Amino acid sequence: MDGKAGEKRALTGNEAIARGFYEAGGVVASSYPGSPTVEILEKTKVYEEIYGEFSTNEKVALEVGIGGSFSGARAMVSMKHVGVNIAADPLMTFTLTPTNGGFLLVTGDDPGLASSQNEQDNRVLGKFAHLGILDPSDSQEAKDYTKKALEISEHFEIPMLLRITSRLCHSRSVVVLEDRQEVKSKGINRSKEKFCMIPPGSRRAQMFMKERLQKLEEYAYDTELNTLEEKQGSDTLLITSGLVYYNLKEVEPEASIWKLGLVYPISKKRAKEITSQYKRIIVIEEMMPFIENELKLMGIECEGKKYFEYTGELDVPDIEEGLYQAGLLKNKPEGSKRFVETVSRPPLFCTGCPHRPTFDILKKSKAKVVVGDIGCYSLAALFPFEQSNSIISMGASIGMTKGIRKAMSLTKEEEPLVTVIGDGTFFHSGLPTFVNLLHQKKDNENMTFIVLDNRTTAMTGGQHNGSSGLYNERDDMRVGIKTLLETMGFDRIKEINQYDYKAAEKLFKEEIAYEGLSIIVVNGPCALRYNLEKPYFYVDPKICISCRACIRTNCPPLRMIEYEGIEKLKSSIDKDMCVGCSVCAQVCPVNAIKSSKASEKEGE
Amino acid sequence: MNKLIKNIMFAGVGGQGLILMTRIISQAAMKDDFDIKSNDVVGLSQRGGMVWGNVRIGKKIFSPNIRPGEGDILVAMEPLEALRWSAKLRDDGLIIMNSKRFYPTIVQQEKEEYPEVAIEDLKANMNVIEINAFEEAKNLGKKQVANVMLLGILAKHLEIKVETWKETIKDNVPEKAIDLNMQAFDLGYVYQG
Ligand code: SF4
Ligand code: SF4
Repeated sequence: MDGKAGEKRALTGNEAIARGFYEAGGVVASSYPGSPTVEILEKTKVYEEIYGEFSTNEKVALEVGIGGSFSGARAMVSMKHVGVNIAADPLMTFTLTPTNGGFLLVTGDDPGLASSQNEQDNRVLGKFAHLGILDPSDSQEAKDYTKKALEISEHFEIPMLLRITSRLCHSRSVVVLEDRQEVKSKGINRSKEKFCMIPPGSRRAQMFMKERLQKLEEYAYDTELNTLEEKQGSDTLLITSGLVYYNLKEVEPEASIWKLGLVYPISKKRAKEITSQYKRIIVIEEMMPFIENELKLMGIECEGKKYFEYTGELDVPDIEEGLYQAGLLKNKPEGSKRFVETVSRPPLFCTGCPHRPTFDILKKSKAKVVVGDIGCYSLAALFPFEQSNSIISMGASIGMTKGIRKAMSLTKEEEPLVTVIGDGTFFHSGLPTFVNLLHQKKDNENMTFIVLDNRTTAMTGGQHNGSSGLYNERDDMRVGIKTLLETMGFDRIKEINQYDYKAAEKLFKEEIAYEGLSIIVVNGPCALRYNLEKPYFYVDPKICISCRACIRTNCPPLRMIEYEGIEKLKSSIDKDMCVGCSVCAQVCPVNAIKSSKASEKEGE
Repeated sequence: MNKLIKNIMFAGVGGQGLILMTRIISQAAMKDDFDIKSNDVVGLSQRGGMVWGNVRIGKKIFSPNIRPGEGDILVAMEPLEALRWSAKLRDDGLIIMNSKRFYPTIVQQEKEEYPEVAIEDLKANMNVIEINAFEEAKNLGKKQVANVMLLGILAKHLEIKVETWKETIKDNVPEKAIDLNMQAFDLGYVYQG
C-alpha cells in the first residue's frame, strides 16, 4: 500500500487505519489476530518504518504498545472486542499514567456477532478505562481519526480508543492518501511517580486521569470531529455516530443530525446548547444505549433504544422502521424479505482439514463431555459432528475441565472428559491453565487434553504463532508443545499424526480410557495455510456398499450420487475439490476409495 | 435517491475468492471517477459457509449496504446462493450465475435436498445468465480464473471502461497469471449465455 500524497484508493476500514498510522509517523504496532481487525497489523507490516508484530496474546500486545509509547514513539495496538478483555489488566492501570508517545488502542466491535462469541460494546469499556473514544463512519474517517487520535493522545497525554465495527473494518470506500509525517521521539520519560503505579503516586494519578478527561471534554466543545447538519424548520434532532450515520443518510429524514466522531467524552455544554434548540432528541446507535445514557446523565431528555434493536446492526431498513415507530416517517416502510428461505449453509471444516479425523473419532468415542475452545475447531459444535459441550473464550476449556472434573469427582461421576485446544489458543492463554492443572492433581482423575497443533492461527487466516516455526522458515518461535508440557511436569504426553486415522483412533481410545491425566498432541498442518494438495481420491461404485462412513466425515467433495446402471446411491468424490488427505479412504470398511496417480491430477 | 447508483451483489461459498472480486470492482469503478462503497462478510463463514458482499457505484454513496429489493445485479458463484439472495434484487434485476454446485452439509448428509426445482423456477422467472465458469476456467488452464470470467460478464453491464477493468485486474493478480486472467475476462465479456 505504498502511494503518493493526493492519490485516491479504495481501502477497507482496516487498511485505512494501517495507512493512517503510517502517515501519522507511527513506529510500534502490535496485535493479536481476531476478526474483524486482523488486516490492520498485516497492512502496517508493509512499511519498514513501522515495527509490527502479532504478539502471543492481547495483553502482551498491549504491553508491547505501552512500551512503544513509554519510549516516546507513537504506538498502536489493535484487537477484536473480546481481546480487550484479555488486555484489560494492564490497560486499567496504563490509563493512570500519562502517555508519552501517542497511544491508540483499536477495538473491532462486532454488532450482529458476525464472527464472535459475544457482542460487547467496547465504548463502555473505554469509558470504564477513562479513555477518549473516536467512532469513524467510513474508511476516510478511519484514516483521519487514527491520525487525530494520536495527536489528541499526545496533546492531552491520554490513551485513545478507536472503536470500529466489523462492517466498517471490511467495507471499502474512497480514501485520499497523504505523506508520512515523521514524528520525533520524545525519548523515555523517567519520572517514576508518573509511571510506577504504586501508592501514593497512583492516588495522585486518579486525579490526573479525571482532570485529563475534563480537558478533553472542553476540547470536545467545538471539535470538528463532531458535526451538526441542520435541517430548516425541523424540531427534531437525531444524534448518531459511526457507520450508522451513513445508513441514516440513506433515509433522508426530515430532521437535523448531530454526528459525533468523538463519542466520549461528550461536551455537556455543547450538548445542552444544541439539544435545547429542539423539541425531540432521538439517539440512533448500535448495541448499547451509550450516547443516550451519556445525555441522560447530563439531564438531557432523549429517546433512543426504545425504537431500535438493542442487538445487531442497524441497517437502513432498521433505521426506517425505528423512525417510523417514532412517528418521524409518515409511510410505513415496506418490510421486504432479505433472502429466500432455502437450504441453509453453515460453515464447515475445509477440505482436507486435519481436525476432521479428530472429531470423527471423538464422535464415535465414549467421551460424552467434550470441552471446546476458540478456533476453527469450534466448528465441531455444528452438525454433523456436534462435539463440543461448551465454548466460552480463548483458553477457557482447560480451566473449565478442571472445575468439571473436581465437581464430578466429589459426586462420584466418572465419565471421561475430553478437552480440545488449538495451538494458537494454547499459546494465547492455555499455558497458565496447563500449569494450574498440576496443582492438587489426583492420579485417578480422567481428563484427556487434545492439543490440535496445525501450526498456525488458522481461524483468522493463518497468522503465525508459537509453534508455526516448525513448518515455516519465516516464522521464528518454534516452540515444541510436547517438550514444553513435559518440562512443565506432565508425564503422559503422546504425539500423533491426525491423518493416520487408524493409529489416531487407537490412541484416542487408550487415552480416553486411561484413568488419569493424559495429553495428546495431534499434528497435521492446516490444509488451507499449508496448501495441502495431493493426488485426488475416487470411489469405485462397484465396491462401495453405501454404508456412508466416508460421508459422515463431512469432507465437502463427498456426496452420495446415482451411478448409471446402479440402483442404490453410492459415494462419490468431486475430484476438482479433493486435496487427497486420504481420510475418507481410511474410514471406508471395504477399500472402495482409492488414490489417483499424481500424473492424473488436473487443473493446478 | 441518486438514480446513477448501481447496486452489485455477490453471493457464494466461503473460500471462493469473493473478496478479491469486490476489491477489483471497487478499484475499477473508482479509477473511472465513481464514488464507491463496498461490503464483505468475512470471518467464521469463510470456512465453506455462505458468504456475500456488495459494491455500490454512483456519484455519491452513503451506505455500503443495499436495501432489500434494490440490487441491480447479483453475481452468484453458486446456484443455491443465487436463489437465497435473489430476493434482494429488483424484480427486473440481472443474475449472473456460475452453475458449479457446492453441496451444503445438510444436503451431503441427506437430510435435505438441493433445491434444483426452485433454481429452475428462478431461471425461468428472472433474468439469469448462467455459465459453468468453473469448467470453462479449467479448460483455460486454471480453475481460479472462474471469478474473473464472471467479472467479464458483469463488465458488459456497467459503465466502466474495458481498459480500466483490465488494468485493475492486472494490479490484483500475480504477474505470471496475467495472460490467463485476460483471456478469462475476454471470454466472459463476449459470453452470450
Ligand atoms: S481424500 Fe477424501 S477426505 Fe481427503 S480431501 Fe479428498 S475427499 Fe476429502
Ligand atoms: S465408506 Fe466406503 S463403502 Fe461406505 S459409503 Fe463410503 S465408499 Fe461406500
